[in-house]
Amino acid sequence: MTTLSLKKITSAWIITILALFVLAIAFGITMRFNQGANINLDPAKFYSLLTTHGVTMIGIWAVAGMVAVNYLLARYVPVSTSLNVFAFILTVVGVVMLWVTTFIGHFHAAWTFLYPLPFYVAWEKWATPVFLLGLGVLGIGWFVWAVGMMLQILKKYSLRHTFAWQHLTTKHDVAVETPPFILITTVSLIGIIVCLLAAVVLLVLFFAEYFSSGSFVNDPLLMKNLTYFFGHTLANESLYLGLATLYELMPEVSGRPKFKTTWYVALGWNCTMVFVLTAFFHHLYMDFVQPVGFQMIGQLASYFASLPAAAVTAFSVMVLVFKNPIKWSLTNILFFLGVVGWLIGGVGALIDSTVSNNIFLHNTLWVPAHFHTYNAMGNVLFSLAFFNWAANEFVGNQNETKSYSLKIVLLLIGGFGFVLMFYFAGAYSVPRRYSVYPQEFTSAALLASAGAWFACIYLVVILWMFFDIVKKCFKVFSPSY
Amino acid sequence: MLQGVLTFILITICVASSFSKPGDYSLTEESRLYTKISDVELATAQGRFRLSEVYGQSPVMIAFIFTRCSGICSPFLLRLNENIKALSSKINFRVLVVSFDSADSLADMVALAQRYGLTANSQWLFATTRQINELNTSVGFHPVWDSTKRQYDHEALLVGVNENGYIVKKLTGIREPRDLLVMIKEINNDFVLSYPLPRKNMLFSCFTYNPATGEKKASLGLVVLLLPALITLLLLFWFSLKKQEANRAS
Repeated sequence: MTTLSLKKITSAWIITILALFVLAIAFGITMRFNQGANINLDPAKFYSLLTTHGVTMIGIWAVAGMVAVNYLLARYVPVSTSLNVFAFILTVVGVVMLWVTTFIGHFHAAWTFLYPLPFYVAWEKWATPVFLLGLGVLGIGWFVWAVGMMLQILKKYSLRHTFAWQHLTTKHDVAVETPPFILITTVSLIGIIVCLLAAVVLLVLFFAEYFSSGSFVNDPLLMKNLTYFFGHTLANESLYLGLATLYELMPEVSGRPKFKTTWYVALGWNCTMVFVLTAFFHHLYMDFVQPVGFQMIGQLASYFASLPAAAVTAFSVMVLVFKNPIKWSLTNILFFLGVVGWLIGGVGALIDSTVSNNIFLHNTLWVPAHFHTYNAMGNVLFSLAFFNWAANEFVGNQNETKSYSLKIVLLLIGGFGFVLMFYFAGAYSVPRRYSVYPQEFTSAALLASAGAWFACIYLVVILWMFFDIVKKCFKVFSPSY
Repeated sequence: MLQGVLTFILITICVASSFSKPGDYSLTEESRLYTKISDVELATAQGRFRLSEVYGQSPVMIAFIFTRCSGICSPFLLRLNENIKALSSKINFRVLVVSFDSADSLADMVALAQRYGLTANSQWLFATTRQINELNTSVGFHPVWDSTKRQYDHEALLVGVNENGYIVKKLTGIREPRDLLVMIKEINNDFVLSYPLPRKNMLFSCFTYNPATGEKKASLGLVVLLLPALITLLLLFWFSLKKQEANRAS
């Protein structure tokens, strides 16, 4: 059941996430203008911005998914507001710690903080442990919250029903149907728990070396594996949380019957749960000390992880909208466009995760191209759809009268224009993570500049939505509410 | 249904495999060690002489590059140059940069030396050779010509040769000064106290390598990598069992 306290904490999350999002976009635009030689940033400042941008984006969109599923989960099982508040406080504390390390401590080892980079101190000495501690604070908050949600689901549904295994047999137990929302939330939460535990192991190993004064050193290969086990999985699971929201809300706001869990939905998501946990090996293709078997697992798991979820969702969404009377609103348009962006970004990811292509695309701007596509034009849109729906829910009015056509047109131009510049640059083998480009990369600066301008258009739409949504969210805190 | 699923998986595996084109790479640093390098004739700006005349005077590190390389060659040479500058000049060795591309002329190599500001540096030699295949084979270097890209597919290889012409150390890739120092010690027949891997203070290596047997084995680090998934699985089953017990009790 949705309580006032749940509405309040969800509002607080939405306002915080959107505010951080706007700032993180501004950092991103600044970096692209610098790469485009329109402004001139000190390299250390550039990499501090890169670190802040990356860690903020990955964090807020992971937690945005959790906020959405936590709110909608209340329709099926009781959810704990205390855990929600606990996670919120730890998130705020964690973000402040991280921003202090990057802006005051000048920490700039990127959000991946790949071992042993954080130990090559090119910033304030205290920044390394505080950055790692900040990540730890975020991780603890989210881990406890995710476990809490998982426990609540398991209190109502058996393990078999949670994973919808009854739908996989020919004589399935129709008396208990697992809603797609529960299935996808479970799959995603398990992935989140696993990757946060990987982060815990990673941080423990970092601190063990940091405080051992040289008596303990880490294996770089293990640290890189753990980093991407955590990072890649978190990025993917955030997206799946967004999809859980889509499965729950899109039919509802479209005036269509709810999605059902069929055998292919159950199978697709069960497969995704297993394969997404091993897809991260594709980040280590260039690490020739990793046995070839792991590289093969990386490529195959990348295909298997994305295909079932993507195919099943695309098919379900197409069935929902094709030749059916749909009550279009900003919410379901954002969901629909989110699926499109996710699929385009997904294809870009699959191209890159194929070994024979990765030889050319590894660490080029193709990488930010694909992850910005499925985040900025995929996952973000899923969460914005939820934020918009929730804000309308808070004010008790789902019938929006304002026109949203201009917003959508600008969003498409800004968003896809922005990522297209990354794709072009990636295809021209322009390397990523350069603060400025040497003259040899003739088109890199121009593409960066154009990308920045497109991102400005995207930012305008986000600001527009920000004010609309936040205004409604604040009403929840009014004494008269 | 099961047949359909199995067919789907089979087709996906076939499609995925067809996309993959694993190269025939052999990046081992152990091949051809302690064998004699081929005594080929070199063409340099200083004149023509045999390789044995170079290593006969002082141990030599040989870097394999080609001048039209759009990949690893430039960063490889750049870093090698930086690292060598950072080392003490008293150390006895020379660096021979050999082009493995028969299309490279001596003029190309001289221009390359100029680009790196190494023309007047007597420690560095830039050379071509007509016997490049012989030299490549003797060090176990196998660049592959890609006619589409008009580039060689190759690794960054540095070969350490001592004063007797024996290959005593090979380094693949762009390496740290620490690795370079080990090579310099090796080619000067100095005692290398220990190699950094495996270290006693590195408890969680993913793999271990036994140089005596050449055997590679999975190690404790892989268990650490599995831990998060195992803990989650145990948590799930534990919650599930607790719930079953509670149901039975009620």
